[in-house]
Amino acid sequence: MRKRKLIRETSSFRDPSGFVFYLGNTIYRQVNISYKNDYLYFKNSGLYKKLVVEKLLIPFREVSDFKYENSEAFVILKTENIPFISYPYEWCFEQLKDAALCTLQIQRLCLEASVSLKDASAFNIQFLKGRPIMIDILSFERYKEGSPWVAYLQFCQQFLGPLLLMSKVDSRLGTLSGIYLDGIPLDFTSRLLPKYTFLNFPILAHIHLHSHNQTKYGRNPSQVRLKRKALTKNMLLGIIDNLENLIQSIKYSDDPTEWGKYSNMMNYTKAAFENKKKIVKSYLVRQKPKNVWDLGANTGEFSRIAASLGIATISLDSDHSAVNNNYLQVKQNGEMNILPLLMDLANPTTDLGWAHKERKSLLSRGPSDLAMALALVHHLCISKNIPFSMIASYLAKICKSLIIEFVPKEDSKVQILLRSRKDIFPWYNQETFEVEFSKYFRIVKRNPIGNNSLRIVYLMERKK
Amino acid sequence: MYLTVFLLFSFLFILPDSTYAYLDPGTGSYITQLMIGFIAGGLYLLKVYWQKIVSIFRILFRKPRMTDEKKKTNKRN
Repeated sequence: MRKRKLIRETSSFRDPSGFVFYLGNTIYRQVNISYKNDYLYFKNSGLYKKLVVEKLLIPFREVSDFKYENSEAFVILKTENIPFISYPYEWCFEQLKDAALCTLQIQRLCLEASVSLKDASAFNIQFLKGRPIMIDILSFERYKEGSPWVAYLQFCQQFLGPLLLMSKVDSRLGTLSGIYLDGIPLDFTSRLLPKYTFLNFPILAHIHLHSHNQTKYGRNPSQVRLKRKALTKNMLLGIIDNLENLIQSIKYSDDPTEWGKYSNMMNYTKAAFENKKKIVKSYLVRQKPKNVWDLGANTGEFSRIAASLGIATISLDSDHSAVNNNYLQVKQNGEMNILPLLMDLANPTTDLGWAHKERKSLLSRGPSDLAMALALVHHLCISKNIPFSMIASYLAKICKSLIIEFVPKEDSKVQILLRSRKDIFPWYNQETFEVEFSKYFRIVKRNPIGNNSLRIVYLMERKK
Repeated sequence: MYLTVFLLFSFLFILPDSTYAYLDPGTGSYITQLMIGFIAGGLYLLKVYWQKIVSIFRILFRKPRMTDEKKKTNKRN
């Protein structure tokens, strides 16, 4: 019997079927007695095994070495750890699309086994080894013939709506998911979508008609008399099939953005670039971090150096096209150590949800063993007016060691940033950079990338 | 296209009212599933049966594969 303190996951309070808790770094899930019958049916029906074999659901096993703190507990489950929890508003278009298809595939297999998803929240999907996977074991309930899919509205609000808005209007609308944590309201999606989408049957049905019915019948449901068992399983399978076809047909509107093809717009020679790669690799080999956060990763060129060394790497960038390209590479090459995510370092994800505790900020998901900030500091300093001291103090909070590149004012990229504005950065030089960073970090190594470039790469360790 | 026109006529001319604070999220969603389900369920059945028909025709009209023994006999000939 263990006596260490159990810590309950702050976001796990909505579902009366159970909750998630931690013991050290291990994740457990309590199944409550109220969920007993659904749990046993799901576990013994063969569906669980099928979903695990298909890599759609995180595997679990029952453990018996806990003293239950309350009488509600039926069983405790232990699941595999997710190295980094990410949220739908941090995913690019293709990630959200794959997560949506994963959810629909699960619901289809569920219906075939007379089970149904009672919850289709995008927060129940995480990315593990490059693939989306369902992590909520308590989302399954026995299907009753004639009953609707209770999570249909949630699916449309959390997956379909954001995907359509990103595809048909603007990819930046994906960030709306960070404002509407329960999903973008359908009437809002319906209003934002172009009028021509009324001529597309699936969009008309799942968004516009759905939104209309929400308003019309939601206001006065007592006037509606529903015929029991009118909705057959075949009709539900038809809806799932229709949603799958629609989502598969939605394409990312590939506007060529500034960073989408970053590696093609470098201002230094291939030799300097190769040398920079060599320096970064040697630092990573020296530090042997368990995980790396690549800040301003673009399409993940340098993240792949860390990933190739077997290091779990989070590849963060604020440009949607770059993150999308990065994820497509992960998919294409079957890369298991890279997780590309959308993140604006000047406005990183904050604590969100009920009491600011449901969804975690970037800061509280750290610190990382090592962060890479390559070709980033000049953007933060000159485009965002953030002084060295503030960058150094923030980076010291999110990483234990740091690989950072200093791009001097003479560099053509810095000159471009300064071209149309007054140079109010007399402090932007190598000496001040080192002085300010030395307040938080110990400079371990310093290597110019050479080959006619004045850029310098540093390896630093956080001061204790 | 006909399905789209049908759905458009079924509701488009009734403009949605303003949003209310107390909304039942289930009923509208259920009715939508019923409306879509009739069409999507029918299409799904057609798709499943069509796949079955295609597979039967494939079995009936596929070229007979030569077994290894036949190949050997042919070579001898």
